Amino acid sequence: MPDRFPISTEKSPNAIMEVILRLKIKDAMVTKVITADRNATMRDIQNLMKDNKISGVPVLDSCRLIGMVSVNDIIHALDKGHIEEPAIDHMTKSLVVLEDDMPLSFAISYFDKYSYRRFPVIDKNRKFTGMLSSRDVLSVMLQELNKEIKELEEKIVNERDELPNQIARDFFIKKFDFENAGKSSFELKKLLKEKNVSSAVIRRASVASYELEINIAIHSEGGRIVYLVDDEKIEIIANDTGPGIENVDRVVEEGYSTANEWIRSLGFGAGMGIPNTKRVSDEFEITSEIGKGTSVKSVIYLEKKNESE
Amino acid sequence: MRDKIFISDIVKKVDAMMLYQGEQDYVRWVVSSGLMSDVLTTEETEILLVSSLSTTQVVRTADMVGANAILLCCGKPVMMDTMKLAEELGITLLSTAYPVFETCMLLSPMFQKEK
Repeated sequence: MPDRFPISTEKSPNAIMEVILRLKIKDAMVTKVITADRNATMRDIQNLMKDNKISGVPVLDSCRLIGMVSVNDIIHALDKGHIEEPAIDHMTKSLVVLEDDMPLSFAISYFDKYSYRRFPVIDKNRKFTGMLSSRDVLSVMLQELNKEIKELEEKIVNERDELPNQIARDFFIKKFDFENAGKSSFELKKLLKEKNVSSAVIRRASVASYELEINIAIHSEGGRIVYLVDDEKIEIIANDTGPGIENVDRVVEEGYSTANEWIRSLGFGAGMGIPNTKRVSDEFEITSEIGKGTSVKSVIYLEKKNESE
Repeated sequence: MRDKIFISDIVKKVDAMMLYQGEQDYVRWVVSSGLMSDVLTTEETEILLVSSLSTTQVVRTADMVGANAILLCCGKPVMMDTMKLAEELGITLLSTAYPVFETCMLLSPMFQKEK
């Protein structure tokens, strides 16, 4: 079967399968629908279509669906000269309908199977209740998947294996998400405070983490930041998924930046991020591969090993 | 450690509006920049951050360096998000109509005494 619909009921990951089985057609369908009654003429329906900019009108007998009039039916009626005649004689009567209690997966397979762009929906008493288009399916899917993925992301954080005496935290950072950039550094700060780490060390860790977070938001396609804290040190590991840095040596230099004006107007992008991170770190490592991504590791010891610098 | 300068005195000095009263009623030093990465290099603590930017990242930055208060200059309109974040992080948020340079000039006599 060709994959006409972007989500398939056969090959999709479990999370998506769960969503399309959990969601019912009634969660996605539109209930405010322009309908015509059994006495309408084809002309009446043509006017309904014109006035409401729609391309299909269900015909009802009280609440029961008895047919559909499509633009094609109207063209045909105009062509054959029966536009003034009752719709009931010229509408499409053999309809493919969906039931509102069916899972959304059912509708998705229907969109695959038939070439219709929308389906009328009835309830179990065969009463007409709404219409479902592929657009409705997509919008409800997107909303639901957003929720689902958020939950999954949170799960990953909790499932990370921690060594004894080690605290691990894991955060996702999205591209250009300046609203939330800084949130994970805030969490790190909170965690270190609870651990009674000295304020000077907290400050250095916060600066390193915050700069790395901002870097992911500004320069990458998105990434993750991981904190590993034990009784000896704080490790901050920032990984992104691209585009990678061509000349890693240069970003360690102060003032080297590829940021645009828009980012600069936010108070960042002056080429200080990586040098700042390096300055507050006891150990610092950066590796990058074009097309793959960049990885930065900053280690800060809770107690200064020696005061050589 | 540097002397405490009360935020109420700063408010009077630069004719500031108190947008949010945070946890601390003093600062010890002033850091002024439109570049948040510069602010992050400061070694001073319990500072007043003076900036002409008014985005949420100014508040985030203030929090990272342990600032007690933020003074937004040039009478810039302050976004709701910025206010909310200051509240959430307990950082005092002030606004003045003076530009950054004038603001710093007015404040500098208050901070003249060395430790």
